[in-house]
Amino acid sequence: MTESPQATRAFRQAGLLVGAGLIVEAITSQFVHPNAFVSFLALGAGLVGAGIARYLWAIMRLRGASQR
Amino acid sequence: MASTPQVLAAIVLVTLFLIAVVMRRPPLGTRSTLGNHATAFAAIAALPILVTWFGFENHLEGSKSTSFCLSCHVMEPYGESLWIDDEDGHVPATHFQNKRVPQEQACFVCHTQYTMFGDLQAKIQGMRHLYVYYFGTVPETIELYQPYQNRECLFCHAGARVFEQSELHAEMRAELEANETSCLECHGPAHDIENLADLERWSGVLSHD
Repeated sequence: MTESPQATRAFRQAGLLVGAGLIVEAITSQFVHPNAFVSFLALGAGLVGAGIARYLWAIMRLRGASQR
Repeated sequence: MASTPQVLAAIVLVTLFLIAVVMRRPPLGTRSTLGNHATAFAAIAALPILVTWFGFENHLEGSKSTSFCLSCHVMEPYGESLWIDDEDGHVPATHFQNKRVPQEQACFVCHTQYTMFGDLQAKIQGMRHLYVYYFGTVPETIELYQPYQNRECLFCHAGARVFEQSELHAEMRAELEANETSCLECHGPAHDIENLADLERWSGVLSHD
């Protein structure tokens, strides 16, 4: 896969999103409270999901570009 | 032994380290090797999905706890009813105070349904409660989704000596099992919220939190 600023940025964005989501998940998992549960789902899992989607999107675009 | 939240935190730390590696050296250009892609996949997809799944399970397990249920202020009177000072009268109070149900899961043990998907149903309903609490309108009077089923009582009491040796229970057994007569017709009202203000509290050896 070719190295381009866009591809590098996409990986870094995905990493940041997933990393932020994991930190939220780790913190909220220390508490047993509805607020922690909602934060875990809405914020933590949401950020992780967005990061994974960004990563998969970047992979697919890179693969498409390399095939062309 | 480490608890689930501690294990999750440890996996998160490892994953964050791997993410930092991937962000510093993305698997592109000359670094586009199978090993680097595998590391990126593990760091950005596989491990986070694993952490999210186990974290979700951990929260669901935690949501069975009495303190979790009672942390919503609409549930406070129901929690208070567990401390009514009446050794034989109020079913929730006697069950809770005498440890006939695990005190740390008192709400869940009585209010889950003892059917094949009862646990799952209770968890889905719990998610609905959270949604209503945060984004909807909490009803003024809290009501069960359906009348309390004897099945939930009989799950523990059927076969228990104190239940089986009662002649009245023996006579009514078929009715009770068919849910034609509710256990609460004789043993109710359960939480007795309407009269809560007039009832004494037991302040025993248990921590009142």
